[in-house]
Amino acid sequence: MKKLILISLVGAMLISLGCTEVKENAAANTTDQPIDTEKNIEKSQAIVLLTGLPTLGTKDSIAIIELDPESDNFGNILYDYPLPKFDAPLHHLYYSPNGRLYATGLGSECSLAEIGLVRNAQAKPVITKVECLDTQGQSVGEDIMWHSVNGKLHMFVTFMGGTDSSQIDAGSVGVFDPQTNKVLKVIEARKSQVEEGQPYIMYPHGISAYEDRMVVTSTVHPNLTDGVGNTVTVIDLNTFEPIENIITEDAKPVGFPSSPVEVLFVRPSIIEGVEPAVLVNTMFGFETWKIPYDAKNKVFAKPEKVYDGSSAGTGVPLEFYGNDKELFISHAIPGLVKRYDLKSLPSLVPSGEDIKAELGAHHMIFYSSASGRKLIAVQNNLLNLGDAKDNDPTDVDFIAKLNDHSLTVHDLTTGERLGMINFKDKYQKGIDNVETLFGSGFTHHH
Amino acid sequence: MLKIKFLAAVFFVFLIITVASIYLYSMNKQPDTQLVEFTAPFVFGRFQIPENNPLTVESVKLGRHLFYDPILSKNNKVSCASCHKQSLAFTDGLALSVGVSGKALSFNSMSLVNLMWGPRHFFWDGRASSLENQALQPIEHIDEMGSNLANLIVELSEIKIYQTLFSQAYGELSAAGIAKALASFQRTLISSNSRYDKFLRGEVSLSEDEEFGRKLFMAHPDTKVSLRGGNCIDCHSQFLTSGFASVFDGFSNNGLDEDINLAEGLYGLTKLEAHRGLFKAPTLRNIAVTSPYMHDGRFETLEEVLAHYNGGIKRSKTLSPLIIEADNLSDTKAEHISLNLEPHEVAAIISFLHTLTDESFLTNEAFSDPFKKGELND
Repeated sequence: MKKLILISLVGAMLISLGCTEVKENAAANTTDQPIDTEKNIEKSQAIVLLTGLPTLGTKDSIAIIELDPESDNFGNILYDYPLPKFDAPLHHLYYSPNGRLYATGLGSECSLAEIGLVRNAQAKPVITKVECLDTQGQSVGEDIMWHSVNGKLHMFVTFMGGTDSSQIDAGSVGVFDPQTNKVLKVIEARKSQVEEGQPYIMYPHGISAYEDRMVVTSTVHPNLTDGVGNTVTVIDLNTFEPIENIITEDAKPVGFPSSPVEVLFVRPSIIEGVEPAVLVNTMFGFETWKIPYDAKNKVFAKPEKVYDGSSAGTGVPLEFYGNDKELFISHAIPGLVKRYDLKSLPSLVPSGEDIKAELGAHHMIFYSSASGRKLIAVQNNLLNLGDAKDNDPTDVDFIAKLNDHSLTVHDLTTGERLGMINFKDKYQKGIDNVETLFGSGFTHHH
Repeated sequence: MLKIKFLAAVFFVFLIITVASIYLYSMNKQPDTQLVEFTAPFVFGRFQIPENNPLTVESVKLGRHLFYDPILSKNNKVSCASCHKQSLAFTDGLALSVGVSGKALSFNSMSLVNLMWGPRHFFWDGRASSLENQALQPIEHIDEMGSNLANLIVELSEIKIYQTLFSQAYGELSAAGIAKALASFQRTLISSNSRYDKFLRGEVSLSEDEEFGRKLFMAHPDTKVSLRGGNCIDCHSQFLTSGFASVFDGFSNNGLDEDINLAEGLYGLTKLEAHRGLFKAPTLRNIAVTSPYMHDGRFETLEEVLAHYNGGIKRSKTLSPLIIEADNLSDTKAEHISLNLEPHEVAAIISFLHTLTDESFLTNEAFSDPFKKGELND
């Protein structure tokens, strides 16, 4: 007992000495010492959407996490903002060109929101509000893109549920004033409502644009059962009307239509002098397609399949991300990120080994560690739906298998995995989206 | 008897130790202070407040009083506010400021705003490495305020309000306390409510002219893609705050003089020839009310400033290459450096610059003269 007390006393003394030392160091920081702000500790921090898992009793939140594997705080939640309970989780985060933070949401109660992000007096980022925006009934928000039309900036949002998600051919593209967040127009052309053979918009998800042409994909009905698309819809931004549907479909490896998901309009602002073309990932076709575009005559050529996942052993290709050298495409199966030379686009010329993530490889961010190591973090979750094994009512077919609920961190140059955070294990939550705290800084949409 | 004496001695020693401990504790006891609370726009970026000078209500209050009190000067006629008037975004409207000596100083008075962002180098020539370091320099400068710090401390210690304010803020009156308090007050000079701030928050839209000016301001000209630009952002990327947080980013030679007339600028600090003629790119917040412009106040109006960049650039060894190549021409003419902006483009940029005026900052009571407000007895 005496020994224990002695150890405790010695321990207390050591702790006490430690505290004193810290204070002395702080005091030694004389008033004329410059503040070292070059070590930006926030460069490796990310903002994530976390989803409560029904069987684990957790709730949705927006969190800021540390993703530098060199940090003692790696994987720790630095700030957590509990979200109100909506009918479905928030889905994607986006920074506007002016630095405003938005989120799309998979339900109808909050399918598009602006998030108030400020700094408090301790310089820490804090969220002041999540304001659900009036979408004029459009639901199941997916992607956001800011694009200028005739010199005026607009905010475009794809809504897979359109203005009535009970319709089997639902879907719309919302055009918003980027200043006021007011709806300027709802672009809606349901297949059942247009003349036979006329262009339609159905379950729009991916979105990209070049000059006065916008492309949106036709992916899957929000309930994942009523229908699957196989086209890309071209919208004339002079009239905000759909003008063409382009089918991107070949083999059907899982028996469904191809389900085009994310799309990237390769254009000169991304690669100087490039011949414009649209790249399309097909979620259930496992393919990547190229649709060449003749900008002078405003004509899209016949689509060409440029990547075949069935033969390459990959499935469910999802996102396009890029930096100044490479384009990255995530493949949920088997959970990897393929990388391509940016200057060779729209051809897909590999630029390095695949980055091996986990099942559900989806969104990604690029950043640096404290020591300057270039990193990539991959969010491995197709959708935050649960697993029937957990008696989770949100399990939908095979999708549950594509939810690893993790973030893997890799060396960007070598692909070496440096760390992993399993949010289900650590926080009993899923992770729906990841964005660097300061915005993606990337040139491409997802 | 011996035992009683021994116990008395022990008691006496114990008493001395106790009294000494209480005395030492009270001497070293930090006053109870309250941290200042505020929020700032996230887009301003990260800031740091020195650990040894936390931003407290008490230190800010003391700093505000000192800032407006001419007691800081040798002749008790010049305060910090003499050269930093709130209505002029804490500048003084003079080309070169004038202090106790009556001589024109070397520099134009810099605007004091959003000083927490970009804290590496203060003054036009970057000679101060922190706000605390900066704060005492004008007080001691023979032409600015001409004070002797030791004398000043004696003077302040004879005034009851300062006895109280220093005690509340730091527990004692000292030169370091003066520097810390002035720095703290200046850190609270946050402006985030100009029309442009409101635009960033989505509360207002800019007029067509302002928006055109914004685009020109943000663009480095690129004739390959028919992009015309004012090239402002190249040097003024931190235009909403007070400068850069990195070492010497934000210092630039913007072509005011040829080599023969080139002022020292940052060279005075670093003694590097490459830094001769480089001055701090200042904040552009409230720029419409902070004339005259440049480190020596040589330009009276924003029109004159734009005219400088549009044809008045003088070549020198350290002239910014970003300025040389920004000419909006497909064939750069080496002999004449100019943005070659059209009159309507110049007007649009100036319109945009006017959106940076924050009226609420210029009239914010919290930044005003406490002596005029009768707050001495607070």
